[in-house]
Amino acid sequence: MASLTVRKNIESLTPAELQVLRDAYLRLQSIWDNRGYNYFAGLHGIPNWYCNHHDRSIRTLQNLRLFLPWHRAYLLYFEKALRDQAGPDPKIGLPWWDWTSATSHTIGVPAALAEPAVDGRFNPLSRAAIYAPAANPPIWRWTRRFPGDPRWLPSAALVNSLLDLSQFRDFSIQLEDIHDYVHGWAGGNNGSVGGDMGNLGTAAWDPLFWSHHCTIDRIWYMWQLRQGVNNISPELLPVVLQPFSLTVEDVLNVNALGYEYAISKVAIR
Amino acid sequence: MSQNIPNNPQPQSRTPQSMYAQGKVFQSTTPLPVSTVPEQFVRADLEFIDVDHAGPSFEARVFVNNPNANMNTPPTEAYGFAGCFNVFGHGGCFGDPGHCDVHEKREDSFDPRLSHPLIPMKKVVIATAAIRKAVNQRTDIHVTVVPIIKSWTEKSEADDILRFDHINLITYR
Repeated sequence: MASLTVRKNIESLTPAELQVLRDAYLRLQSIWDNRGYNYFAGLHGIPNWYCNHHDRSIRTLQNLRLFLPWHRAYLLYFEKALRDQAGPDPKIGLPWWDWTSATSHTIGVPAALAEPAVDGRFNPLSRAAIYAPAANPPIWRWTRRFPGDPRWLPSAALVNSLLDLSQFRDFSIQLEDIHDYVHGWAGGNNGSVGGDMGNLGTAAWDPLFWSHHCTIDRIWYMWQLRQGVNNISPELLPVVLQPFSLTVEDVLNVNALGYEYAISKVAIR
Repeated sequence: MSQNIPNNPQPQSRTPQSMYAQGKVFQSTTPLPVSTVPEQFVRADLEFIDVDHAGPSFEARVFVNNPNANMNTPPTEAYGFAGCFNVFGHGGCFGDPGHCDVHEKREDSFDPRLSHPLIPMKKVVIATAAIRKAVNQRTDIHVTVVPIIKSWTEKSEADDILRFDHINLITYR
């Protein structure tokens, strides 16, 4: 049986782990069919618009809050595609960007995700090419990023305050708002044009997107540890998270999906 | 399929700080009489109903009883800052004509599709301290919302971006 993938803080990856990650991203970004980066980025906004944010309704007027479950499924499929490109014994998991950390509050986006080149080679974690010929107008360019003042990234205290919210819907609304803020902060603008993280249609092309959402997923996981793994409205459980073959119920337990955020487990007797 | 990626990637230097702009400010037209708010509560929310998110991404700073607030007003309790909500905008329409025309849920009960992605949303600002201050001071409640535009595209509007139907004040005991 395969072991669980450990998703680590990108600030804690070793140089060797980062190199494996960069190599996998580079291979993924060079594939233009439905195994590749461009395909997965295009599921979120332009041109397929599958993503779920805020409340959406289906059949009835009942509101469905699928933001967290849908993005968990999305990250899982992306991570599988990434691991497919990571060699015969892939150990990598998606790294998460802790925008509450002291480093982030000092320099903003961590160097691993920001430096345009490493050892003279293109860093595929810093940007990606957008190829969206079906967009109106068609888009064919590199991603752009104009992050804000690092001091204004969300604090750990703010995140911790969310963990005390006992109702899933309440928690999800507040966490999504912080998520929205970080998108705007990371995308930003240069006075004439906005960055891609700040626009839903192209956000998923920026490699930062995946590590930002990995943090959002981790915060949900931390909340589940405190408030219950199955703490979610029962009517959401059978909803299919299109276009993925998973329901909301399927994505509640991250261990059942094959990954983990804990970095150690020690028995105390 | 192989692709020729457009020029570069030439390294760009670490990016400069973003430049933000203020959008059109919302002012509530009729103050909410403080007498309608319970004196005892443990939490007070300002719910923004049917917020539009089709355009740019922005932060909406919410002030209570500070009609002169703008993007340079310190976001602190002393200035009536109640909290903020943030909109991750779609950045305008990149589809063909009609793509972003919001349609309400169809009458067809056999239609399994989700509602339109641009159905307006609800945002909730937990504003307990600011509402408690107004209640303690027995002042009617006037809300000012200052949108600060973070990111946009060539397809999104630049000024009148803050659109919603109404605000609910919800208290919990």
